[in-house]
Amino acid sequence: MKILTAIILATLAVSAAAETHLDVRTTVQKEETFINDAGEQQTRLVAADIVVPGEKVFYTITFRNISEESADNVVITNPIAADLLYVDGSGIGPGTDIQFSVDGGKTFASAEDLVVIEDGVERAAEGRDFTHVRWVMKNDLEAGAEGTARFAAILE
Amino acid sequence: MKAASNLLVPAFVWMRRLSLLIFCCVHSNTAVGAGVAVGTVIENTANITYDLAGTPLALQSNTTTIVVAERINVVTTLQSSQTLVSANDSARALLFAITNTGNGSETFLLAIDSNIAGDDFDPVPSTPSIYFDTDGSGDFNAADQSYTPGVNDPNLGADESVAVLLVNDIPGTVVNGNIGRSRLTATAVTGSDVPGTVFANQGDGGVNAVVGATGGTASAVGEYLVSDVLINVVKAQSVADPFGGTEPVPGATLTYTITIEVASAGTATASVLRDAIPTFSSFVANSITLNGVAISDATDADAGEIDSSSGTQTVVVRLGDLTQSDGVQTVVFQVTID
Repeated sequence: MKILTAIILATLAVSAAAETHLDVRTTVQKEETFINDAGEQQTRLVAADIVVPGEKVFYTITFRNISEESADNVVITNPIAADLLYVDGSGIGPGTDIQFSVDGGKTFASAEDLVVIEDGVERAAEGRDFTHVRWVMKNDLEAGAEGTARFAAILE
Repeated sequence: MKAASNLLVPAFVWMRRLSLLIFCCVHSNTAVGAGVAVGTVIENTANITYDLAGTPLALQSNTTTIVVAERINVVTTLQSSQTLVSANDSARALLFAITNTGNGSETFLLAIDSNIAGDDFDPVPSTPSIYFDTDGSGDFNAADQSYTPGVNDPNLGADESVAVLLVNDIPGTVVNGNIGRSRLTATAVTGSDVPGTVFANQGDGGVNAVVGATGGTASAVGEYLVSDVLINVVKAQSVADPFGGTEPVPGATLTYTITIEVASAGTATASVLRDAIPTFSSFVANSITLNGVAISDATDADAGEIDSSSGTQTVVVRLGDLTQSDGVQTVVFQVTID
């Protein structure tokens, strides 16, 4: 019993510590067109709250190492909602390899290596087939360093 | 299965083989053709895994939420082909379908306009002039319910359609060949405006409604064609047997005489006579005449031919635009009994 208690306490301790290592935030935005001071049409990103079918939304994940040690093997995984269609080529993540899953997150690969079978015919996977997107950091996230990951999706 | 365990095969080939085990990954979701249902809440949470001082750890980001607004769109489609009518006809119907191509329920106001420029006559809307094709028959009958604006405006769910009839009378002053048009317009009650216009909180469940690419209104135009020329056609036959008599025996020649006459005002434009050879007979070559003038069997510049393209031989004679003043047109041809 004592050993079990010790393990539970250790696990709890680790969880508590984990919450203070990285600060991870997600925002969702959409494009808005406006007339700038020069009278020209320009677009900017604004917070997305209400979205219409066909509209494009942008998800941005920022992750900052707020601990005093460097974090390695950092992987950010974002499940793509069923009603959203990933926009091909929209994934951005400086210092990361971007990979996708078409099988609900069981396996990941780069976009060009993925295939799907539709109506018995094999074809290259496209954005609309992706169930997850993930960013695999190539290097450590040093203490105090911050990374950004972004992708766009269209509401069906 | 790690690539490192088999040095003979490059890593990317393993990944590709792994991908081949993935079957049919088309999303299942709540979207209809009109888009995701209004009011759907879409959440997003990112997960992060990392090692710190050798310990594997995991975290989640905050969860973002977006709500699907209503997009207003409508399409009106003409279902009837050009409808043939006569002068003084009453209650002639044109069939349309109105489809809610938006993603939420919407009520539509219907309107008829029969005073369209560019046609030969204005159909006269009956009273009432708009009906639902209640029995789904495609034509106008006693089972169809009339439409009254503001009373029974149709409410359609996303991707839902309703069949609508426009009913008009045909004036007495039209002549054969005149075209009259009638337009049905459907307009979303929540709002119709420049695409992108937002009607705050006016969508299903109180979310915003946004006008889609159709502007929230759609119309289609149906057409009546006056086709009421009266043509009298009479066919007679005479028999000549090989023995100088009139017995219809094998070898006997049948001579068919067909008279065609316009018996009313108006023009029968591009009239064509077609008469199939009886199955028990064979066509006598070069026996077709029009008003006494010989017509060759071949398809050439003259007014007729024998047409074998459908399997049955058919005598075809083009009579052109006929009026009452052209008088009787006579076509003669012969066959022999097999």
